[in-house]
Amino acid sequence: MSAQREPSLFGHRWLLYELTRREIFSRYAGSAGGLAWTILQPLAQLAIFSIVFSQVFRATVPPNYPGVTYLAFVAVVLWPWIMFADSVQRGMAAVTANAGLVRKVALPCELFVYASVIACYAIHLAGFAGVLIVLRLYGENIRLDGIPVAVLLMIPYLLLATGIALALGALHTIVRDVEHGTGLVLTLVFYATPILYPLSFVPESWRGIVMVNPVAQLSERLRDVLLHGPSLTQTDAWIALIGVAVFAAGLWTFRRLSPYFEDFL
Amino acid sequence: MSGPVLVRLAGVTKDYPKVATDADRLRTIASLLLGRGERPHFRALEDVGLEVHAGESVGLIGENGAGKSTLLKIIAGVVRPTRGTVEVKGRVSALLELGSGFHPDYTGRENIFLSSAVMGLSRREARSKVDAIIEFADIGEQIDEPIKHYSSGMVVRLGFAVATALRPDLLITDEVLAVGDESFQKKCIQWMQGYLDGGGTLLLCSHSMYHVQTLCRKTLWVHHGHARAFGESFDVTREYLTYHEEKRRNDAAPPATIPGNMPRIESAWIEGTDGSKRSTFRQGETLVVQGVAYEPDQRSPVLLFGIVRADGTPVYGSPSSEAGFVPEATGDKRFAFAVRFDSLALLPGKYMLKLHALDPEGLRLFDTVENEFVVTGETRDFGLVRMQHSWMRGRGS
Repeated sequence: MSAQREPSLFGHRWLLYELTRREIFSRYAGSAGGLAWTILQPLAQLAIFSIVFSQVFRATVPPNYPGVTYLAFVAVVLWPWIMFADSVQRGMAAVTANAGLVRKVALPCELFVYASVIACYAIHLAGFAGVLIVLRLYGENIRLDGIPVAVLLMIPYLLLATGIALALGALHTIVRDVEHGTGLVLTLVFYATPILYPLSFVPESWRGIVMVNPVAQLSERLRDVLLHGPSLTQTDAWIALIGVAVFAAGLWTFRRLSPYFEDFL
Repeated sequence: MSGPVLVRLAGVTKDYPKVATDADRLRTIASLLLGRGERPHFRALEDVGLEVHAGESVGLIGENGAGKSTLLKIIAGVVRPTRGTVEVKGRVSALLELGSGFHPDYTGRENIFLSSAVMGLSRREARSKVDAIIEFADIGEQIDEPIKHYSSGMVVRLGFAVATALRPDLLITDEVLAVGDESFQKKCIQWMQGYLDGGGTLLLCSHSMYHVQTLCRKTLWVHHGHARAFGESFDVTREYLTYHEEKRRNDAAPPATIPGNMPRIESAWIEGTDGSKRSTFRQGETLVVQGVAYEPDQRSPVLLFGIVRADGTPVYGSPSSEAGFVPEATGDKRFAFAVRFDSLALLPGKYMLKLHALDPEGLRLFDTVENEFVVTGETRDFGLVRMQHSWMRGRGS
């Protein structure tokens, strides 16, 4: 049929660049605090969680993570989670947010989702790097040599987020309920993921179910790498595979529905 | 004249899903994912075919909601037709809405880069064209202000300016000339004419018959989702205007609008010197208007004629009182009259002859009857009428 919608990422790289720029720009446009807000928000969450759980609930860091406080213990996985959740929510709404373009210009719509997710990752990765450096300066035992592997692990995390954002974004364009449901599910997944607690706190019989969740796997691995030092395990290959599979499934759903987006916007 | 085919549509049908209820939405999503099943829909286009050759300019006209925009979107590749085939070759630039994708907080300049990327330019290409774009948009110093402070006209100018930098093989525009001020419209039309002269292909959707006639050689009339007529712009637009004329007449059918006790034009027609009705005249021919006026008090009404060009530009008008003509009664309260235009000076084009009946004092205007006519001829004159003149050797001082 018509050739224009034919998605070629390479041919549209300039557009992807511009859209990502615009996305980042939108985050702080019109606010005096600028990009600081995008870092302040996860920072506040981190502060709340670490105060409530370490001071009120008296949560302690398990002995196999020596030299770190509860704050650092949570920070190394909370930040990637926020990155993931933010990407899913914004990526999902990207098509409807760009309805004006979708309805009037022949473009591969997945670009909007990509731009949204990439912008989220760019902003939060910068924040994450800053937080890791600050924690390290305060004497937390964060293994800087683990960072390269952590960055590597971010790739399946990114694929996972993009795949989910694509699938949900496509559905959301047609049925707007998806947005509300997603917020709820993300909250559930957050508490079902060993972020505020180590996996060892979970009853033995439940661990299998908890670890079905790839985000839980990723969180455990990230914490391991950043607090214990670099390592590559079989789990990483498994995670990468899941990341690719989720992305492919998301893209399939998206492309399947994208020709009809214009009908619903 | 005609080059290779750039656009070929065959049997294009577009159904839009009807999603009035939540159940509809869910049913639609399921059938889309599974690729089968009936979905509730309404039909925006049905079995439309169109061929556009390179170098052609095709106008697209029709009532609101007739399916013009949907058709353009299908050609632009924004919408996939439910049935039928679409072949489009070459670089297409579709101006379905100017300024779509602009970011309100970006400055005009930044939006040029964004918009160029949307249209497929790389950053380097955009950088090399940005000055030309800014010049065309003619926004002045505000180009470095956020566009949320722009007037809507300025946004449109910027949007069109970006498009001018592209020189696509096929340019699709949807009613973009309607916005923007007079001088910018002229600039756009000039640009489009230059683009066409340079071998460009244009698909123009407009409600302005004047624009369609000046820019497009051929025109497609879309009516209720069907291609109702396709051919020479002149013929199709005339047919279209006639349709509207009739529709308006039917709408205004209850004669209560003009009270029976007011002077009015009962009938009027245009004929040649031989007395046969017609609406096409060669330049320089003689045109005669015949009419019958009604005056309830048996007193001679004042009559007024006016000639306007198809785009509404007034050419000339004069009341019967000016010439001292007093129509005589030819029957019960009826007054027949005629106006003769010897050697028609009007330049070739389409015109409207309007007749009005005024009260015997010539103060109040009650009625308007319109008759369309066409002046043909080949001339390189421009303006409205041919003025008597002669060229000769000058005195030199």
